[in-house]
Amino acid sequence: MATWDELQEALDDYTVSCNTNERLRKMQKDWTRVLHFVCADTAETFTMDVRSGEIVSTGAGHIGVPDVVVTTDSETFCDMFWGDLNPMPKYLRGEIQVRGSQEDIMRIDAISYVIWPDA
Amino acid sequence: MSELAPPSSEAEQPVIGDHHPHHLRRSVGVFTATATSAGLAFAAINFLGIVSVSTFALGSSAWLAILIGGLIALVVAGVFSELNSMWPTAAGVRLYISNAFGGRFALIATFTYMTTVVLVIAADAFLIGAAIQHVLNEPPALAYVWILVLLAIATALNLRGITMAGRVQSAVTYTVLAGTVVLSIVAIAKPGMPIESPFALFGNGALSGFQAIAFALFLFAAFEWVTTTAEEARTPRVITRGLFIAPMLIWFAATVFSLALDHLVPKDVAHGSAYPQLLLGAAALGRVGEIWMLGVTVLTAINTFNGGFLVASRFVYAAAREDNLPRPFARLNIRAVPWLAVVVLAVTSAVVGAVIFATGQWLLLVAVGAALEASVFAIASAALLKLRRTHTKPRSFRLRAAPVLAGGGTVLFAGLALASGFSDPADPTQFSAAPALVVICLGLVATAYVLIVVPRLRRAAAARRVAARASGERVKRRPERPTA
Repeated sequence: MATWDELQEALDDYTVSCNTNERLRKMQKDWTRVLHFVCADTAETFTMDVRSGEIVSTGAGHIGVPDVVVTTDSETFCDMFWGDLNPMPKYLRGEIQVRGSQEDIMRIDAISYVIWPDA
Repeated sequence: MSELAPPSSEAEQPVIGDHHPHHLRRSVGVFTATATSAGLAFAAINFLGIVSVSTFALGSSAWLAILIGGLIALVVAGVFSELNSMWPTAAGVRLYISNAFGGRFALIATFTYMTTVVLVIAADAFLIGAAIQHVLNEPPALAYVWILVLLAIATALNLRGITMAGRVQSAVTYTVLAGTVVLSIVAIAKPGMPIESPFALFGNGALSGFQAIAFALFLFAAFEWVTTTAEEARTPRVITRGLFIAPMLIWFAATVFSLALDHLVPKDVAHGSAYPQLLLGAAALGRVGEIWMLGVTVLTAINTFNGGFLVASRFVYAAAREDNLPRPFARLNIRAVPWLAVVVLAVTSAVVGAVIFATGQWLLLVAVGAALEASVFAIASAALLKLRRTHTKPRSFRLRAAPVLAGGGTVLFAGLALASGFSDPADPTQFSAAPALVVICLGLVATAYVLIVVPRLRRAAAARRVAARASGERVKRRPERPTA
């Protein structure tokens, strides 16, 4: 079970990795979304605001109306944000649950794939 | 635990009930879900499907086979509704089968299932190409040029990441259904051939009637794919309603079209044509009717190509991401589209389209599609029965009398798969093992691939990761927790 500090650290690293990856920024330039995250094991929630492919803010709690809601356990979130985990197999096994359009779900996985293709 | 195995306990899978605490900015309601379901099912190949039903049903009794097919489709709707309410995800079909029968079988079944997407795209490209060539009165060879043009347009749109908005998709679907129904009613109102033996479905023999029902069920094929949009739905119940309403719309459109066809177009003429809908249009309203039905046919392609390319290419991407397909299939272009998956899908469809064009065996595709779809329904019904025993996961929809409906359904769908698999749609008095052989070949290729190639791909991927870690190229990035 990951603590909020651990999650925050992972999120900060993820934000830097996303925002400094030129190919990803170009790929996601038409992607503006509000993402809500729910830790199923700790009931912790947080929000990520993405504008034109840039993560402009992350923070605790749910802010705004989401385009996508991702639910899984806190450890999986941490590993995913650190790039140590390929989220696709867990999604296909139902261990990561997402609400949102198929295109958005694909984009979220694409972020991990572009930054960490060998995860 | 094998990598292919489902999660070991339900505790690993948080429950999704009917209530979603988070309202999405954009979500799918019943109107769009119904349109998606009906639009995926009502393709150009359905017009040939109706002709195939009529071929096996004596006189004007095709409507009865379509009615029975529709009632059976409602059982399928119940089965998928319950499964979807347990796991409302785009990966649904694979997840249900995986949790019921194991990961390997699920992978084999879904790989085989996905071939129907290629078959439907290829068939629709061929049928629309043939229809355009006929209306423009061009040499037959130009039909293949139209097939290539249609596939090229669909590929280009997909590669540019252009997908149809739900509202446009709904408008297209309801226009196709309304266009078919209105022209059919106009045709029925005209003087034509009298209705003969409307209840003699089994007049050509019990097997022939059963085969007519098998082809009637094919008219509803792919309506269950709406479950792949479950994550966009406001609640799982939206998908349930779509699953139950769409078959009724398809049933109504198919029934009036079948009655109109029996009324104005002789069976042998419709049977020998790749565009019976154009023949009906011409018989009802002359050139205007022909162009009307050409418009309807072209519109069906929008749904087929949009839905088909999207579902199949994303499936290929996901499979490549978990090392079940070679990694290049997960490569993304600058618009985040898995470009190799889209291109391979288009090329494969073009090759299959060329084979149909060269052999004229379009009715064989209908039989193969009917056998594959009935097989999937049988597996889904059996999965539901198994999951009722093994999973206590809460669900917002429960199929009533499941042991009877899903249990009976498993046997019935298996029987219908055999009936269509051993039918000869070109000559209803003959048997043909060709459709069954095609399905068996597809299944064997998928089985061999999953048992032989997938383990190699996974070993190679694991070795690549170990090597990357050993060379320091790829290290674990998450900091270790400080010990207390």
